[in-house]
Amino acid sequence: MAETNGVQAAVDIPADKAEILARPLEERDDIVVCENVHKWFGDFCAVRDVSMRVKRGEVVVIFGPSGSGKSTFIRMINRLEEHQQGRIVIDGIEMTNDVRNLDAIRREVGMVFQQFNLFPHITVLGNITLAPQRVRHMPRSEAEALAMQLLERVGIPEQAQKYPAELSGGQQQRVAIARALAMQPQIMLFDEPTSALDPEMIKEVLDAMRELAATGMTMLCVTHEMGFAREVADRMAFFDEGALVELGPPDQIFNNPQEDRTKLFLDQIL
Amino acid sequence: MTARAAPAPLPPATTVGLQGWLRQNLFSSWGSSAVTIVLAVVLSWVVVNLGAWVFVEADWTVIISRVPLYIVGLYPYEGYWRLCICLLLISVLLGMSWRAWPNAARRFAFAFGVIMLFVGVFPHEMAPDHRALLLLNLPFIGLGYVLTPRPAETSPGRFEAMAGSALAPALERVAIFSTPRRMVIAALVALVLTMILILGIAGVPGLDPVNPQDLGGLMINLLLAFFGIVCSLPIGVGLALGRRSNLPILKVACVIFIEVIRGVPLITLLFMSRHILPLTFPEDLNIDRVYLAGITITIFSSAYMAENVRGGMAAVQAGQTEAAQALGLRGWQTTLLITLPQGLRNIIPAIVGQFISLFKDTSLVYFIGMLDLVEMGRVSVQGNQEFIDNGREVYLFIALVFWVFCFSMSFISRRIEGVLGVGRR
Ligand SMILES: Nc1ncnc2c1ncn2[C@@H]1O[C@H](COP(=O)(O)OP(=O)(O)OP(=O)(O)O)[C@@H](O)[C@H]1O
Ligand SMILES: [Mg+2]
Repeated sequence: MAETNGVQAAVDIPADKAEILARPLEERDDIVVCENVHKWFGDFCAVRDVSMRVKRGEVVVIFGPSGSGKSTFIRMINRLEEHQQGRIVIDGIEMTNDVRNLDAIRREVGMVFQQFNLFPHITVLGNITLAPQRVRHMPRSEAEALAMQLLERVGIPEQAQKYPAELSGGQQQRVAIARALAMQPQIMLFDEPTSALDPEMIKEVLDAMRELAATGMTMLCVTHEMGFAREVADRMAFFDEGALVELGPPDQIFNNPQEDRTKLFLDQIL
Repeated sequence: MTARAAPAPLPPATTVGLQGWLRQNLFSSWGSSAVTIVLAVVLSWVVVNLGAWVFVEADWTVIISRVPLYIVGLYPYEGYWRLCICLLLISVLLGMSWRAWPNAARRFAFAFGVIMLFVGVFPHEMAPDHRALLLLNLPFIGLGYVLTPRPAETSPGRFEAMAGSALAPALERVAIFSTPRRMVIAALVALVLTMILILGIAGVPGLDPVNPQDLGGLMINLLLAFFGIVCSLPIGVGLALGRRSNLPILKVACVIFIEVIRGVPLITLLFMSRHILPLTFPEDLNIDRVYLAGITITIFSSAYMAENVRGGMAAVQAGQTEAAQALGLRGWQTTLLITLPQGLRNIIPAIVGQFISLFKDTSLVYFIGMLDLVEMGRVSVQGNQEFIDNGREVYLFIALVFWVFCFSMSFISRRIEGVLGVGRR
């Protein structure tokens, strides 16, 4: 789509990111490394033996049937779920029980949820400035300036003083994106960010995500918006029954899937 | 211009108006008609008899001649003006609340003003200066209202729009309670002043100390319930957090405290406070029973408060904690900034409910020799040959007083619930 180029031109990309983006994917370093990761709930194996490397600035779309372990997998990347076997390394930091590592990783990784999970008792501005002030110890004025800048970027600066419940679903999700970005993460996780939205609001959220991808953010998105995937994803990962079945560029997934299960699933949803 | 649509058809007469209402609600079937008629007969029998007694036979002089006893107990007459000042402070706070949370507090402030007006003009013996002080409550509610700025999200009222441009700058200048912090400070100052005024300070002329045992009547019921709730809130929060904590010792200690207190009737705790607690004090330490009762009621209330708070926090969605964690907030930060505030908001109606039941429970303090409203009622009947036959009047009056307070509080609580339901969840 032509729009991507337009967006790319409109946003200003930090110099270090621009330098990375200039390099082809193969020559960038791995920012997320998962090796033989497993996760059980009781006896039930929700994620089995998943290995995946994500390059800096890469956009990976994760899809697959309900219950296939997509959410569980990306929640392990910021330790909302603990992996029980295998290895996860985020930007060189090993995921262990060490609190310092965990703090460092959570600072690197931002997350956007299906249900937005904004804090209903504080204003939009308060939602965005909370973590920068409390975790990064940013002075309030600076945090607020940053928040306004981010709200500008997602297109709703006029909503700053409202409470989340006063906003539409699409606006809430954009606030949630701004809130995650305020921590200046290196990686953004999206768990079905548009599934709880009415159709007319999906586009505004996807646009914000497109813009983010264009700035060179590393993104792992669980989504079934195949148009978005085709256009923005560098690679797509198909999960089924807890396993990573197929991982490849959108062109391969859509036009020439290597696995029968991928083809079957795509036939069902397209 | 398009043609006007045909008028919507009217509903059948049997479903609207008085006739429809009666039919739907009282006489919808043979069974319900029978119930309606039987209940109507019984109710009218009760109402007629009670009404005849209330308006014809009953002799209300005992109430009218003892009003101060019921309201303030043996509080010295010279100090009545101090209590009147306390009421004025409450009026200012109510006026502030009215302005800041119009939907939740307006009726409360209004009801308080009406009661003060009623008490102020009620024809019975009262010193004119007390009467004047009581009537001053109305302007003081207005004062609190004016001292508080209009919340940004509300539109100006009718009066304000009329007075509008002329008064606006003046109104803005006097609106000194412009931040939540200032309002909290105002409330705390009022609280401390109230305590000083009620109990007095030795050596300050006009503020002669009052023997705590002379506090009585409705005042002591309200004071005990109010301080019980206010003090038990932080303690209850602490206990609830302890119960949720990962430290086994802290957790077990909190669970034991909560469950032991909840498993013992308040009356037992009151007896223990009167007769057993002092055994553990140094001999020369003589704590007045009023304070012992206050401490006991606070402890009692804390255990229930802890369970309320825990329930309120448990009702906060898991996604809230996850979002906070994902942002890098520590566990205690998540609790203090996210879970606890939302949990407390969830339980405002429960706290009002607890206040109501605590208020009723405070009548138990007469068992440890305090002169609360119920005990004052008993004394006024049995301590006086003249009124020995007027027990019915007195207890009916007391029941009415309790009911008016409890009913209006639960009414207000429902309003608050409604207000919290919109906008901020
Ligand atoms: N906390 C939990 N306890 C027990 N089982 C769980 C838990 N969370 C997830 N599961 C199970 O793990 C499996 C994978 O769940 P997950 O939420 O990762 O699926 P998903 O691919 O995200 O599905 P969906 O598209 O419905 O969101 C499911 O069978 C689910 O029932
Ligand atoms: Mg999921």
